[in-house]
Amino acid sequence: MADTIPLAEAKSLVARARAGDFAALEQLCRAYERPVYTLARRLSKSPDDAEDVLQETFLEVCRSLKQWRGEGSLWGWIRTIAASKALMRYRREKLRAWEPLDDDVARQSEDVPLQMDLEAALARLPERSRAVVWLHDVEGYTHEEIAELMGMTTSFSKSQLARAHDRLRRWLGAGAEQ
Amino acid sequence: MSGTRHGTVEELLAVRDGEGSGWAREHVAGCPACAAELERLEQVRAELRALPSFAPPRDVWPVVREAARRERSRRRVSAWMGLAAAAAVVVLGFAVLHRTNTVQPEDVALRQAMAESAAMEQMFESLHPDRRALSGQAASVVADLEDQLAQVDAALNDTATWRSDPDRVAGLWKQRAGLLSALVDVHETRASVAGL
Repeated sequence: MADTIPLAEAKSLVARARAGDFAALEQLCRAYERPVYTLARRLSKSPDDAEDVLQETFLEVCRSLKQWRGEGSLWGWIRTIAASKALMRYRREKLRAWEPLDDDVARQSEDVPLQMDLEAALARLPERSRAVVWLHDVEGYTHEEIAELMGMTTSFSKSQLARAHDRLRRWLGAGAEQ
Repeated sequence: MSGTRHGTVEELLAVRDGEGSGWAREHVAGCPACAAELERLEQVRAELRALPSFAPPRDVWPVVREAARRERSRRRVSAWMGLAAAAAVVVLGFAVLHRTNTVQPEDVALRQAMAESAAMEQMFESLHPDRRALSGQAASVVADLEDQLAQVDAALNDTATWRSDPDRVAGLWKQRAGLLSALVDVHETRASVAGL
C-alpha cells in the first residue's frame, strides 16, 4: 500500500501529536487503521487477534512517536510495528501451548478439493507461510527483512515462500504437472 | 531449452523478483513450461495485491486516546518525581556542607532557579497543553522545546551532575524555567488566537 499521507503532512501531524495534540493523533489513527487491520488480519489467526494487534500497534505508535524522524515513509514505520506485534503474538502462542507444526497442518490439508478461490486458499495456508507470502508479495518486504522480523534465516523465508506458492498452485486448481 | 531440468518454484520466484541466477533466467527464456509457470506466479502476486482490505469491526480510537492520556500524565508525574528526589538530595547535601548560619550565595541562586522553574511549570500546566490543538509550525516548536526539556530533566535526574558540577545545577534549573516559559508563550499565543 502506498502511504496515504504525503511526507510533509505526516511530519506535521507527528509533530503535533508529539506535542500532545489529540486531534492530530486521531487523524493518524484514522488514516492507518484500515491498512494496519488488513495487515493484522493477514498475519493473525483470527479477527479477534487482529483487533488486538491493531490496538497494540497504535499504543506503540503513541509511545514511540519520537522515534520516527521523518526519514522514511510513516506507513513503512507503522507497518513494521504492526507486523512485529502480529508475529510476536504468534511466537508467544507457539510457546504457550502445543500446536501441530505448520507442515503437519498443511499435510492434512493437501487433499482438499481443487478450485478454491484465492482468499480461501490463502486462509488455509499455515500461519508462518501466509505471513511470508503476504509480507513479501503484497507488502514488498525483502527476504532479509522478513527473516529479521521473524527471527529466522533468509533461507527459511525463501523456502516458506516457495512452499506456499506450491500449495496455492494446487489449491487454486492450476496444478498442471511440469 | 537450456539445462536438463525445469526450474524449481524457489528458482522461478527468484527470477520473478529480479534475483534469479543466470541459469534460471536463461532456462526460463527457452522453456515454455517454466515461462508459463513464471507468468502464473506473477499473476498470483497481482491477485494477492488486489484482494480487498478489511475495515476494523470496532472503533479503536477511544481506547488509544485514553491510553495516550494515561501515558502522558504518567510521564509527567515520573519526570517530576525524579526531579523532586534529585532536588531533595542536593538540598540535603547543601545543608550538610554548609552547617553555618550564613546563607551561601550559590544556595540562594539554586533556590531561586528552582522556584522559577516550579512557577513556570505550574503556569504551563494551568494552560492544559494536552487539550490544545496546535498548528503544524507551533507543534514543531513545542516538540523541539519538549525535547530540550527532556534533556535538561535527564541531566537533573542524574545525581552525578549534582555531585560533580554543583554550579551547573542552578544553570540547568534556570534553563528549565526558560524552556517552560517558552512553552507557555507558544500555548498562550495559540490560546489568544483561538479565543480560549
